[in-house]
Amino acid sequence: MTAGERWAVGAWLAFLAAGVWIVAHTTFTTDVSAFLPRSPTPEQQVLVEQLREGVVSRLVLVALEGTPPASLAQASKSMAAELRQDASFVSVENGDGSGAGADRDFLWRHRYLLSPAVSPERFSAAGLRERLEETLRLLDSPAGTLVRRVAPSDPTGELLQILEHLETQSRPATREGVWFSRDGRRALLLAQTRAPGYDVGAQEHAIARIQEAFSRADAGEAKLLLSGPGVFAARTRVAVRDDALRLSLIATALVAGLLFAVYRSGRLLALGLLPIASGALAGIAAVSLGFGSVHGITLGFGVTLIGEGVDYAIYLFTQAAGEGGPAALERIWPTLRLGVLTSICGFSAMLFSGFTGLAQLGLFSIVGLLVAVAVTRWVLPGMLPPTLDAPIVGTAGPWASAAARRAPSLRYPLLVLVAVVAVLLVTRGKHLWSEDLASLSPVPRADQALDEKMRGELGAPDVRFLIVIHAPEREAALQASEAIADGLREASQAGMLEGYESPADYLPSQKTQEARRQALPEPAQLRANLEKAVAGLPFRAKVFEPFLADAAAARSMPPVVRGDMQGTHLALRVDSLIARRAGGWAAMLPLRNVADAAGVARHLAAPPGAQAVLLDLKRESEELYHSYRAQALAYSLLGAAAIGALLIASLRSLRSVFAVLAPLVAAVLVTTGVLALAGASLSIFHLVGLLLVVAIGSNYSLLFDRRASSRSDRERTLVSLLLANATTVIGFGLLSFSRVPVLHDIGITVGLGTVLALVFSAILGRRHEHA
Amino acid sequence: MTFGGRARAVLLAAALAHGVAAAAEGAAEESAWNVARLMQELAKVKTSKGRFVERRYVGILTTPLESSGTLLYVAPDRLEKRTLSPRVESVLLEGEQLTLESGQPKRRRSIRLEDYPAVGVFVESIRSTLAGDLAALKRLFEIALEGDERKWRMVLKPTDRNMQELLSEIRVGGSRGTIHSIEFIEPNGDRSTMTITRDTP
Repeated sequence: MTAGERWAVGAWLAFLAAGVWIVAHTTFTTDVSAFLPRSPTPEQQVLVEQLREGVVSRLVLVALEGTPPASLAQASKSMAAELRQDASFVSVENGDGSGAGADRDFLWRHRYLLSPAVSPERFSAAGLRERLEETLRLLDSPAGTLVRRVAPSDPTGELLQILEHLETQSRPATREGVWFSRDGRRALLLAQTRAPGYDVGAQEHAIARIQEAFSRADAGEAKLLLSGPGVFAARTRVAVRDDALRLSLIATALVAGLLFAVYRSGRLLALGLLPIASGALAGIAAVSLGFGSVHGITLGFGVTLIGEGVDYAIYLFTQAAGEGGPAALERIWPTLRLGVLTSICGFSAMLFSGFTGLAQLGLFSIVGLLVAVAVTRWVLPGMLPPTLDAPIVGTAGPWASAAARRAPSLRYPLLVLVAVVAVLLVTRGKHLWSEDLASLSPVPRADQALDEKMRGELGAPDVRFLIVIHAPEREAALQASEAIADGLREASQAGMLEGYESPADYLPSQKTQEARRQALPEPAQLRANLEKAVAGLPFRAKVFEPFLADAAAARSMPPVVRGDMQGTHLALRVDSLIARRAGGWAAMLPLRNVADAAGVARHLAAPPGAQAVLLDLKRESEELYHSYRAQALAYSLLGAAAIGALLIASLRSLRSVFAVLAPLVAAVLVTTGVLALAGASLSIFHLVGLLLVVAIGSNYSLLFDRRASSRSDRERTLVSLLLANATTVIGFGLLSFSRVPVLHDIGITVGLGTVLALVFSAILGRRHEHA
Repeated sequence: MTFGGRARAVLLAAALAHGVAAAAEGAAEESAWNVARLMQELAKVKTSKGRFVERRYVGILTTPLESSGTLLYVAPDRLEKRTLSPRVESVLLEGEQLTLESGQPKRRRSIRLEDYPAVGVFVESIRSTLAGDLAALKRLFEIALEGDERKWRMVLKPTDRNMQELLSEIRVGGSRGTIHSIEFIEPNGDRSTMTITRDTP
């Protein structure tokens, strides 16, 4: 070992130690939203916050199926009873009517503060007369028995007013006393966890508790289905953890097996894995330093680094087998360096994308590759055995060389193929691309479909339009909600929408409650008004004494606050519609059946100090997706342009650049065509994969295009390219088996694309004949 | 809001039960008069039409409330009660769907029986009576029959605890396969009496 080499090894060891220390102190996350685009507008931010920690994120959808309804209902009741005792859950609903009593008591007790109909006119003699006549009519209607029960205390019908206002929510079907899907095949429960959806550990615990309750419910052959954001988070974490571990182990084993088969040396095998190990360590450390935490999916992506990082060692070993380490390195280093730089150009596009997750993958790969190539360049040569043998070059070399010589005869068939694919892609046009934001979700597609189905069965309406209100205080947000609701009622009368839900329906602002209290006349006055109103009607004397007492009590009742709702289902609704957020409070008003969104928007007038925005969730998410795809496309093109510029600057010959780029363009087109024909609609992740095809494939075409010094040099180059491609395919190909969409999409694209890049490089490569 | 919806739906069904009545005569049989025979008579009626007068005695009122209108039954599961006085209103049962419509202001509301098990039980009992399905009636009520073929009275007492809170008993009176009156008695003493006149076919 020379002094320089010793210095390099020392620096490398110090670097490794630092890397180990950083990685040991790294937080690993599996936040599901990391692979959703960062949200640019405040409204979208509210949505993403709600998705991460709002009530919506805390819901676990539970379904039981596979046995007759009676036994499913029994299991549902027993699970609900057990889980309601569990501190992990704020509420567990299964439609058995538990809690309905608490809801009714709350509404009954506070009816004069909660009823939207309360006004001074309603309690005047004329107003009361009108209400009493209505009560008389209702007594002779199907609702008679209920009205007869409440009339003495509530002759003005405030409870009915409230119920009618709230009852527009759709609910699941009921069978055997609990919630069921319409077809009666699934019993349904809805649990709300105490922990927010992003707290994956707590979500895992809650899920385990549900599974235990299910196993204790003695449900026989019944099957338990779970869905919801927390379930997804927990499941994704498991999937990512399993995939990362499993795929890394398989990839390492395969690559190691390949290295050993080729070099027949334990020492070379160990040396070959050094650049990868160092690169992976450095990559994780860099992401940890740059982002504060490392996403599980980034680790999963590390698999690809195993496949790519080992390439440099393969080039070195195979070349060194002919002429010794240092000389070989001298010769291939310029090409290798250019290859690494083009790869980095490609990965840079990921670094600048709007997805935290992709940016992490980009940084991880760039740092990993730099370190891997640096270790190959400066550390490995000093450690190589003086004599090094690669018997495979002798066996495979002539064959590879012969194949490469014959490959150009396929030039014209390839051109035809590329032309056909290009036409195909053009005719596909817009349909080529996925239009769905869900395609970016790390949640497997089958799980997304199940979630949608269960939501439909639970009668959770698909909210498309939503008004988001910001205000500094809860009271201001509630007042703004009430002001907005006035406008919405007008819009509704004009036929622009069917209805809305507002947090103030359940929890009116203090101001409104105070106004309602003031609307109730003094006890003596009310009694006089009532006496006048009841004259001539067939009500028995003294029947309405309870009403006079309740109305008098309501006048001195403290206003309802959120705490009064504890233990009712209404609390859950309020919490899902109004929430504290950075810089104040956000209230959300979901709208039903909007016919004229522009008209509704014109009716929005938030009071001073509050802002209100009408969100079209469907359009918003589509626009978000389009803007991110456009961004990803722009960065990919920029990355491709950087690669082109780099090649022009290094090769200084347009002809050479063309020779290097032509196979890559062909590989990208054909890969896209194959994916499209296979029925995949392409996501942003496929797009990123295509860029990586260019970034990685350029190494192959560069080496292919390198003028070899001798026939044996040429054969060694070809064999090393085959080996390098094999390891890349191992890395990315394995990713295509992942259940996590981002890993699967990138894996399948790069795995296929790099093979094509190598084959097309051979077909389109220039002939460098040697004697 | 389970409370309001369910309670009102139950009452809706109760109101519908008043419409059970209009049933036509069947040919008299010679065998002994008992519930099984009554059911046979009722089962023979495939369609019938009639007018009703209903009086509701409510504890908080000094005078009963009176309403009247028409009834229409088509076997096996279509039943319509149309109130014409003092206001236009109708309750319609079609298979599993119960629809309530009021004239002024015009409002319409439909529920599916499977969503309201209590109503489902109720309606099932009405249907069972009209269809002469004794087995189904016995699942829900304790049945007693008084009188003879020409003038009988059947008393139905709900066996389900939840139903008992809404209803003490139903008294159905008639002659052979024709129902003349139905009386609902609530636990709090309120009751309603419906007398039915069958239209001559």
